[in-house]
Amino acid sequence: MPGRPDRARIQWSVVAAILLTVTCWMQTRHWSGAAVAQEANKTSERRPLVLDRAPARNIADPNPVFRAIVIDAEHGEVFMANDKESAGTSILVYPTQFPPTNRIMEPRRRIAGPKTDLGMVCGLALSVEHGEMYSVSGETGTLNVYPLDARGNVGPGRQLRGVIPRASAGVFLDVKNDELFITTEHVNRISVYPRTFQQDQEPLRYIQGPTTGLADPHGIYVDSETNEIFVSNHGNWRKTETGEGEVRGPDSLTRTSLGYNIPGRALPLAPSTGKFLPPSITVHSRTASGNAALLRMIQGPHTLLNLPDGLYRDPVSGEIIVANTGDDSVLFFDKDASGDAAPVRVLKGTATKLKGPAGVSIDAKRNELWVASWDGHIAGVFPRTANGNVAPLRVIRTAAESAPLASMGRIGAVAYDPKRKEILAPN
Amino acid sequence: MSQPRISAYASLANGNALPTRVIQGAKTLQARTSHYIAVDAVHDELAVPNPFAQAILFFRGGANGNEAPIRIIQGPKTLLNAPDNVAVDPVHREVFTASFPTDSILVFRGDASGDVEPVRILHGPNTKLDRPIRVEVDPMNNVLAVVTDHAILVFNRTDKGDAAPKWVISGPKTGVGTRFGTRDVRLFSVGKKIIAGAAIRGPGTTRSAERNEEDGEGRRGGQRFIGVWKYGDNGDIAPWAVLNATPITKIPGSRLALNPEGGDLVVGGDGQVSVYHLPEIFQQRD
Repeated sequence: MPGRPDRARIQWSVVAAILLTVTCWMQTRHWSGAAVAQEANKTSERRPLVLDRAPARNIADPNPVFRAIVIDAEHGEVFMANDKESAGTSILVYPTQFPPTNRIMEPRRRIAGPKTDLGMVCGLALSVEHGEMYSVSGETGTLNVYPLDARGNVGPGRQLRGVIPRASAGVFLDVKNDELFITTEHVNRISVYPRTFQQDQEPLRYIQGPTTGLADPHGIYVDSETNEIFVSNHGNWRKTETGEGEVRGPDSLTRTSLGYNIPGRALPLAPSTGKFLPPSITVHSRTASGNAALLRMIQGPHTLLNLPDGLYRDPVSGEIIVANTGDDSVLFFDKDASGDAAPVRVLKGTATKLKGPAGVSIDAKRNELWVASWDGHIAGVFPRTANGNVAPLRVIRTAAESAPLASMGRIGAVAYDPKRKEILAPN
Repeated sequence: MSQPRISAYASLANGNALPTRVIQGAKTLQARTSHYIAVDAVHDELAVPNPFAQAILFFRGGANGNEAPIRIIQGPKTLLNAPDNVAVDPVHREVFTASFPTDSILVFRGDASGDVEPVRILHGPNTKLDRPIRVEVDPMNNVLAVVTDHAILVFNRTDKGDAAPKWVISGPKTGVGTRFGTRDVRLFSVGKKIIAGAAIRGPGTTRSAERNEEDGEGRRGGQRFIGVWKYGDNGDIAPWAVLNATPITKIPGSRLALNPEGGDLVVGGDGQVSVYHLPEIFQQRD
């Protein structure tokens, strides 16, 4: 049988060749760059060691959270922004009326997915009259418009992109004057656009500059009757120039907004202007423009302001309602409050279930106060005039009550502490 | 997020884990999501930038809750402008920050506090600093690595003025640079390795075509990976090792931390933290 060893050898050779081919393919299939490198440049013929393997561990909270909150009282719906990336950022729509339950509640509609281009959705506004919803993304500096009844993975009908300074936080629609107001944290600015804006339209006007009092602005509310703009400020301040943050080609003054992929001119080394100011509510004229001085400011130790975020104005009393994130409370200020004024009432305590409240709104039709509580994965509904340590009438929750508090938002960095064997994650 | 915070997790944490501690609250003086945090294990301190108030904050290593910084670098003399990164050299007791707006690296004394001038500044056309976003220092081997718009630049640790980088990792074969999604660079001193997130673009892909593919981390399409280069790598050179973004690896972003003792690479992004056991990276010799 002289032919047999040869056939076996051939078979084994074929098997070996296949194995070799598969091995080479596995080594290179994820590394086209190296192959290109090797072909193009003989001096760089390194074949990378491929370390592809699944993570040994993954730390993530899969439960959505609630940040901005707006109410369509006419249709009995509440819209809330979920900016938690690990849960897939989304806009969640629930009915305003439902039987009290402590169970996780599924939204009536959910707007999410790659086509939506939601980004880190921070702010929301509604126009019931025009059937539109507006969302602002903090990271990408975009304003999206969706139909009020949008659901699923739908693209925005209109979008402002590339003209809003990066890291915008809050948005408010002034229905009477048909204008959208947007705050931007990085460049201490309020931008005003027509509701009917077209792609890449310039703002009608903006408020920005050292005399505005804006210092890391977040939430915004516009009162079209008193012609006042109310803005919550965390207090991180530096001197900004009017127009700073606008994208206008390579010479634009955008570097300070830390949009890494946005072109902008280099700045000279110059004295720093940064300082820490107490948190505040600044009040501006609705028609102010440029480096206009503010009308008044609520600021000081008696205000109890502590990382204030979402704002709303009580339609009956005119009180200024503030989601006071830093101390798990909601503050209510007199309509004419100014200076170091104490709140006229405070919603706070274990019974409220509030942890990291970020958004507030009023359902005027049903006389109810809504609070989005980010850390606790809940939105709580209270009587409009609630005060002190009172329990919500009902809650919407996205996680079981026993679930850990949300403690991880957008991950800005990671570090390892070898002494405590801990992973540190600013977020 | 509801407010700026630093969450700490046990190194073996997994799933929807409870943090061991959370540094948050108005007294901490943090702004938005801090883009960087440096651990000084020798002096048991944490350093965190605040870009809006133009400050660098220092906390106790074991800080917890609404705890104030133990010192702050801030003031006109500091020249800080939107600082959003910080690196610490505990051996020579220095603090570094890459200044994105001013194309410079500012170096301060490690125990500095208040309105102090930088002890050194790296700045000028020869430095090739073009929109630097991160800096990392290796005090053992006396090198400094900087992520710029389209490169990782490596300098001598004590370089100042208009000094040229000693090595430049840049080019289509490297895939590094902010425009490709690099957000971090980490140095493994013992093994003399440079670790960074990167991406290789497919042929014919243009930036404008990728506009809508950009994700929250600023990544613009292409094949994402975390690359490991060796000290001395210079030019348009492929990495020594790669962890590719695949359905199996599920790389969440390009924020990096090293745990050499455990052989782990920690990767953050997309609202989560993944830990990869990659002892190959942490070998002293290849």
